Amino acid sequence: MGDYHSRGGGRGHGCCPPMDLLRSEPMQLVQIIIPIESAHLTVSYLGDLGLLQFKDLNADKSPFQRTYANQIKRCGEMARKLRFFREQMTKAGISPSAMSLTQTHIDLDDLEIKLGELEAELIEVNTNSEKLQRTYNELLEYKLVLQKAGEFFYSVQSSAIAQQREIEAHQVFDGSLDSPLLLEQEILADPSKQVKLGFVSGLVPKEKSMAFERILFRATRGNMYLKQVAVDDPVTDPVSGEKVAKNVFVVFYSGERAKTKILKICEAFGANRYPLTEDVGKQMQMIDEVSGKISELKTTIDIGLIQRDNMLKNIGYQFEQWNQMVRREKSIYHTLNMLSLDVTKKCVVAEGWSPVFATNQVQDALKRATYDSNSQVGSIFQILHTKESPPTYFQTNKFTLAFQEIVDAYGVAKYQEANPGVYTIITFPFLFAVMFGDWGHGICLLLATLYFIFREKKLSSQKLGDITEMTFGGRYVLMMMAMFSIYTGLIYNEFFSVPFELFGKSAYACRDPSCRDATSEGLIKVRSTYPFGVDPKWHGSRSELPFLNSLKMKLSILLGVAQMNLGIVLSYFNAKFFRNNLNIWYQFVPQLIFLNSLFGYLSLLIIVKWCTGSKADLYHVMIYMFLSPTDDLGENQLFPGQKTLQLVLLLLALISVPWMLLPKPILLKKQHQERHQGQSYALLQNTEESLELEQDHSSHGHEEFEFSEVFVHQLIHTIEFVLGAVSNTASYLRLWALSLAHSELSSVFYEKVLLLAWGFNNIIILIVGIIVFIFATIGVLLVMETLSAFLHALRLHWVEFQNKFYEGDGYKFSPFSFALLGEDED
Amino acid sequence: MGFLVTTLIFFVAGVVAALSVRLCFNGGPSINLLRFTLVVTATVCCWMMWAIVYLAQLKPLIVPILSEGE
Repeated sequence: MGDYHSRGGGRGHGCCPPMDLLRSEPMQLVQIIIPIESAHLTVSYLGDLGLLQFKDLNADKSPFQRTYANQIKRCGEMARKLRFFREQMTKAGISPSAMSLTQTHIDLDDLEIKLGELEAELIEVNTNSEKLQRTYNELLEYKLVLQKAGEFFYSVQSSAIAQQREIEAHQVFDGSLDSPLLLEQEILADPSKQVKLGFVSGLVPKEKSMAFERILFRATRGNMYLKQVAVDDPVTDPVSGEKVAKNVFVVFYSGERAKTKILKICEAFGANRYPLTEDVGKQMQMIDEVSGKISELKTTIDIGLIQRDNMLKNIGYQFEQWNQMVRREKSIYHTLNMLSLDVTKKCVVAEGWSPVFATNQVQDALKRATYDSNSQVGSIFQILHTKESPPTYFQTNKFTLAFQEIVDAYGVAKYQEANPGVYTIITFPFLFAVMFGDWGHGICLLLATLYFIFREKKLSSQKLGDITEMTFGGRYVLMMMAMFSIYTGLIYNEFFSVPFELFGKSAYACRDPSCRDATSEGLIKVRSTYPFGVDPKWHGSRSELPFLNSLKMKLSILLGVAQMNLGIVLSYFNAKFFRNNLNIWYQFVPQLIFLNSLFGYLSLLIIVKWCTGSKADLYHVMIYMFLSPTDDLGENQLFPGQKTLQLVLLLLALISVPWMLLPKPILLKKQHQERHQGQSYALLQNTEESLELEQDHSSHGHEEFEFSEVFVHQLIHTIEFVLGAVSNTASYLRLWALSLAHSELSSVFYEKVLLLAWGFNNIIILIVGIIVFIFATIGVLLVMETLSAFLHALRLHWVEFQNKFYEGDGYKFSPFSFALLGEDED
Repeated sequence: MGFLVTTLIFFVAGVVAALSVRLCFNGGPSINLLRFTLVVTATVCCWMMWAIVYLAQLKPLIVPILSEGE
């Protein structure tokens, strides 16, 4: 048992200072006892500091049972009102202005009242303007009816009367019951045979006009006269508010029953009715009146809109500040809910994880809160000892953050274990570049990322789309990838697949001046090796692929063995840091021996073969090293004593397997027995320590030790390593595969598009060819290949590199911080 | 230029880079050590790549056979 922040013991190994980012910050569990009057302010200041991760001490309570559930509800209400304002502002096309630097302090209660008032006002203004708008639309329709109907009214009326007379003429003879009584009376009463017709006028939607006419006809048994005229422009319907094409109609009828039927039908069809007068003079007067009213209403509506916009603008000035404040308060209350209320209700107890270096800052914040809240009693700050595993906290800057996130995506580092992120900063872009090697493409990539980097400040405050957001977040990774790609492109000697003789003369030349054998026997090496990279003469030759394939495969193996060795060495440093001697002697050493006696030896053979120019077949050597180790090597001998060396290495590899497997479980069992000898009375001793700690922290006082479990675990680990040694080494061959794919694609686009277009000697075809080449390069090589190489480099890191040493089962430090409040909390 | 000479050049370039990083961006000792590690790693990676490609072409077993029509 020991408190965690001193467990690591001797930082580094005394030779060098501790390295930033290699191990996570030492953390401590702190307990703060805060008097209740300064609780709110304390939490607020701690939120500003952002270096304390609160533990939820009320985890068993439901959200409604917590102390501050009410305040959270209030904050939720305010947030809803703010959302409503934002909606209204977006509808009116007003965007909230950015937060002003001068922040006036607003009390939460005042804000609540103000928001309530503003909301009521806004709703009222909205309803009023809606009503006015509806009246306005109705008046517009009325005006239309007056104008259009007035034109044809008299002609229609006379035709209607004529028709009615006809009908009556029939009816007098028929004596049908359907003839309205009123009409008979009229006929009898009025000798001048003035037919009195009633009429209904209004607007009906154009699409329903046919059905309207038909149903009117049927309902009144043809005893009506309808005239419809279309309106040219669509009219805004007062009820729905949408623009609908409508017809102006006038229908003449006789009798009360017909009237009620027609009225009902108009209602059913949503036809708005407006009164017309028969008098011409009065009609003109009406039109003028209505026009007057319309313009009046328009001004009123405009004024209303301006007023509303002004209100929204005023809200807009303060919106961000209010929003920020409400979110802040809500998070403070959520945090306050996590603190446990003391029985006396005089103070709250907070527990949380905090980095050791932040101790002074936290205590400072507590002092300030005590002072600012005029509290008589100060907060008590004490460090607790616990066996719980602390969260992992790496202090990153904008450059290292992206790389650390790449590592964290696979698994967050266990507390204070070696962070692969340190090496990932360099090796990840490097492995990417090995697969991407083309300095032309590298330059394009670099230019693209430099754009992002130079406009960093502007882009970081904007809201970007998803993909742009990701690319922007990874801009430094991309920059490193591009720079390394330029380097490997120079080494592979590929500029959009074209080689250049930049570093001196090529080493190869024809055998004789006539170059007869150039295409059959090939060139010969006349000068010293091309000083930097692949000789330019290889490109386009027939033996290019056999040479490059051999080169790149061996390159991949060498790089892979190097990275895996680095991983194993990191596991040594981890074991040293956690003072785990077992891991050093019975895991690190046999692993190192196993990997290097096989694949380290292969790397050695590769280098010796290159240096001596021997024709030995390395596949043969490696395979027969296992199958028949005592056989004579013959022409596969690369150096004297090879056979003996191989036998020794084989033996070493064979003993390292049981060395990895057996001693560790046995020794662990022995250790466990020693530790728990005579521990039957241990529990009594423990009760002397504070009980409250025991119930809060899950203490594993008496560990169970299952030998079979430990043994199986070690067996799995051993098998994984042994088989993994072969499979992981082979996995690094993807460096070769992707590099080959990239150069072949690049070559195809260059030769089959650009050169082909050039060969036609036609300017149009050339331009088309260039455009196709550019799009193909960007789409396939710069986007797809980048993603592909990125993914594979990532896999090589996550699996082949990290499984040599990384446990990655920690959890991330997520402090209570206002700066980290999410944007999309709504 | 020779293998050893160029290796020496890489080494010197690494030293120069480490010194310039130390002089231009001096932070505390822990962050200096991190930057030093990064520079060393980058130098080693670049040197390895160059060395492997160079060694592979020292005593070649195959030679470029030009294709027809070149």
